[in-house]
Amino acid sequence: MAQAPGKTTLTGWLFKGPALTLLAFFMVYPILSSLWMSLQVGKGMNFSFGGFANMWRLTQDAVFQQALLNTLTLLVVQVPIMISLALLMAVALNDPSLKGRALFRTAIFLPCVTSLVAYSVLFKSMFAFDGVVNRFLEALHIVDQPIPWLSDAFWAKTLIILAITWRWTGYNMIFFLAALQNIEPSIYEAARIDGIPRWAQFQKITLPALIPVVLFTTVTSTIGTLQLFDEVNTITPLGGPSNSTLTLSLYIYQLSFKFMPSFGYAATVSYVIVLLVMILSFIQFVVARERRRP
Amino acid sequence: MSGLKLRNVRKSYGAVEVIKDVSLDIEPKEFVVFVGPSGCGKSTLLRMIAGLEEITVGDLEIGGTRMNDVDPSKRGIAMVFQSYALYPHLTVRENMGFALRFAGVAKDQIVKQVDDAAHTLALGELMDRLPRQLSGGQRQRVAIGRAIVRKPEVFLFDEPLSNLDAELRVHMRIELARLHKSLAATVVYVTHDQVEAMTLADKIVVMNRGVISQVGSPLDVYDNPDNVFVAGFIGSPKINFLKGVVERVSKTGVTVTLPGYSDAKISFATKSVLLAVGDAVTVGLRPQHFNTSGTLKFKLNVELIEHLGGESFVYAGNGSGDLITVATQLGRGLKAGEKFEARIDLAKALLFDQAGQRVR
Amino acid sequence: MNRRLHRIMVYTLLSIAAFVSVFPFLWLILGATNISPDILSGKATPGHALFDNIVKLTQQVDLVQLFYNSTKIAVIATALTLVVASLSGYAFEIFRSKLSDRIFAGLLAMLSIPFAALMIPLFIIMAKLHLINTHTAIIIPTVASIFMIFYFRQATKSFPTELRDAARVDGLKEWQIFFYIYVPVMRSTYAAATIIIFMANWNNYLWPLIVLQTNETKTLTLAVASLLSAYVPDYGVVMVATTLATLPTLFIFFVLQKQFVQGLLGSLK
Repeated sequence: MAQAPGKTTLTGWLFKGPALTLLAFFMVYPILSSLWMSLQVGKGMNFSFGGFANMWRLTQDAVFQQALLNTLTLLVVQVPIMISLALLMAVALNDPSLKGRALFRTAIFLPCVTSLVAYSVLFKSMFAFDGVVNRFLEALHIVDQPIPWLSDAFWAKTLIILAITWRWTGYNMIFFLAALQNIEPSIYEAARIDGIPRWAQFQKITLPALIPVVLFTTVTSTIGTLQLFDEVNTITPLGGPSNSTLTLSLYIYQLSFKFMPSFGYAATVSYVIVLLVMILSFIQFVVARERRRP
Repeated sequence: MSGLKLRNVRKSYGAVEVIKDVSLDIEPKEFVVFVGPSGCGKSTLLRMIAGLEEITVGDLEIGGTRMNDVDPSKRGIAMVFQSYALYPHLTVRENMGFALRFAGVAKDQIVKQVDDAAHTLALGELMDRLPRQLSGGQRQRVAIGRAIVRKPEVFLFDEPLSNLDAELRVHMRIELARLHKSLAATVVYVTHDQVEAMTLADKIVVMNRGVISQVGSPLDVYDNPDNVFVAGFIGSPKINFLKGVVERVSKTGVTVTLPGYSDAKISFATKSVLLAVGDAVTVGLRPQHFNTSGTLKFKLNVELIEHLGGESFVYAGNGSGDLITVATQLGRGLKAGEKFEARIDLAKALLFDQAGQRVR
Repeated sequence: MNRRLHRIMVYTLLSIAAFVSVFPFLWLILGATNISPDILSGKATPGHALFDNIVKLTQQVDLVQLFYNSTKIAVIATALTLVVASLSGYAFEIFRSKLSDRIFAGLLAMLSIPFAALMIPLFIIMAKLHLINTHTAIIIPTVASIFMIFYFRQATKSFPTELRDAARVDGLKEWQIFFYIYVPVMRSTYAAATIIIFMANWNNYLWPLIVLQTNETKTLTLAVASLLSAYVPDYGVVMVATTLATLPTLFIFFVLQKQFVQGLLGSLK
């Protein structure tokens, strides 16, 4: 593995150079700049050092707190539902004797092909007050009044959750499918011969193999949901009925480009997201490691 | 064709030394085999000769020129890898001509050299195929062809037959031996298979844990091992090692008793003065050296017999000593549980001291 | 549980899931043929407004310009990203050192940085470089995609080291090994990566939304979004626009399904 050092590592750095340079300018510098900016107060381009003023403002800002609550609510509700559904479908699809497997798989995966804006358009039109979804629900007598999807705080949130789940379940399902197919069939055969019942097989063989994948998808889904922007800006551009679908990213966008820009404060809010991502990822890693030990 | 010299070569990865002071002379046109167990350093040594690994300390000379800092492609070597390492996206013809392309050789010259090599290895009809369309043996020949095209001073082979099935391996062994003769090439060949080593080599280099245990011709190394490692590694089935104790020491030799075998006494003629009465020694007896007329006798009970058809391996013991393996062509009638007398000429016994060194 | 019953449940579940997944696409096509009020009142049958919708769309936006912009950005970004990410992914795996591995770990950590945290300083940088409202400003920040660097590094793990050895013995220099051996051998990795990168750039929304300000530079995705945010959106027109915007990715998906999925899974190991 170790080759003639000196020479090859110089080449190595030359290969890595373009990427690292670009990242230094367009990721590292901005992230540090954001940190600096979060300490600045002022409107537009008039900055002045404000110390912890922005952080204080966070605690007083009801809209921010609403956005934070919304984002966390979405996270806590949507991600587990989606992962569970994806898991369920992956397990269902993993049966080789199932007919039409490829067709089901393609169909369930198809939503992933859409752009975030495109599918937001679809959902916004389908869930209109007199829209096709409400008609369908009424026809099946599930409800007797159309649901105010876009004008009610609770239902707006629900709509967003439904949309995200529609879009990303297939994506996560593919990961689970791959992990399931990586399990040697001979392990199951040995278990069958030993007389181990199917639910125990699932618990002792299937689940442990899935833990790394579940962790991966949960972390990526968490990061994605915490940064949610495209859908909410398209379906509920102003933050939804009484700001019920205002996410942190949307709020930052509004702070920066809609109202009289408060770049410093916007940077502070964005660091809240960074912190949340770091904390939650860390927690998830620790939880996965603990479960792997016994 | 050039010769090759290694002088006090050492290699370390950080704090770990994997090659410890190796010196070796390889004559032009010699077929030298590095053999030893996994991890002994034989592949590392080969890669150092190729220039794929750095030589930490010491000198490498090929054809009289010091090659330590020379680029692999300029050392006059060509290498055949264990997994053939054929470029999967190129045809056989392109694979063989690849190096010449980058050496700036004229196109028609490349065609000529590739065709020559293809002819030598009878690759004619495979020339336009891709590696994935070839069988293991065919890929192996292409890999050799690729090496031949470059007209190197030294050929390097890194366990080239390991990935082939048993029958193909035997066939390729013969082809390699023939090639060596017809090309009159200097070859350095690495393998863990002592049968390959014995059959192909002009000179065997037995390695163990980064050092050379012994260098010699195959029969030399077989008949006259320098230490227990070489004695145990070369020869199949493995040599029998029996524990012994020195009973008597004289000017002409020593007498050794074998505690496990009703104190059979063996006298060894030796000029060594390093042994004393009571020293623990090891006696080596090769399974193939047992016969029907030897003076050293062992009365044994057969535990297990393996019949190979042409000969049988008898595993027998007396309950208190180690199991003795006897290779015999007269074993067909024997069954497990029967009594068996193993006899061997005293002259065939090998004596090793406590540290495993051969006592001569 | 009774196997038969189990089977029925599975089929039911999957059928519902499949239907729910595919319905919005049918809805899209249906919507493109209907007029806006009908769409919003849940008409689930084809209409006759397709031609009208298309005409209205071409009156409201310059389709050719939009397609050109989206394609230009996606193609250039894809080409550049492939080069930059594969070179560094390859290098991170082949030319290793403690420092290199530490830097890579740092890159992975940066994956969790939300775009929202970067967009304001990035915007200011672009403003200072006078690159606001240019395609360059869109392309440059995406080229060094950490996800792609990671992806190529993982893929390189399955690149046989013996090929490198053989190439070195054959006298190839490092850049030649990369170009003449690595790239051709890793063809399917590049194919899968192309799909992912192309799609990501084609569908890119937030950053172009901030940076691109005039009709000459805007992309198809932006156009769809802005049609929707009109005071009274014409859903028929929006549907046609969305269909057009989704067609390329749908096409790529169906033609290259295997690579598409492989691309997603490539980073799994």
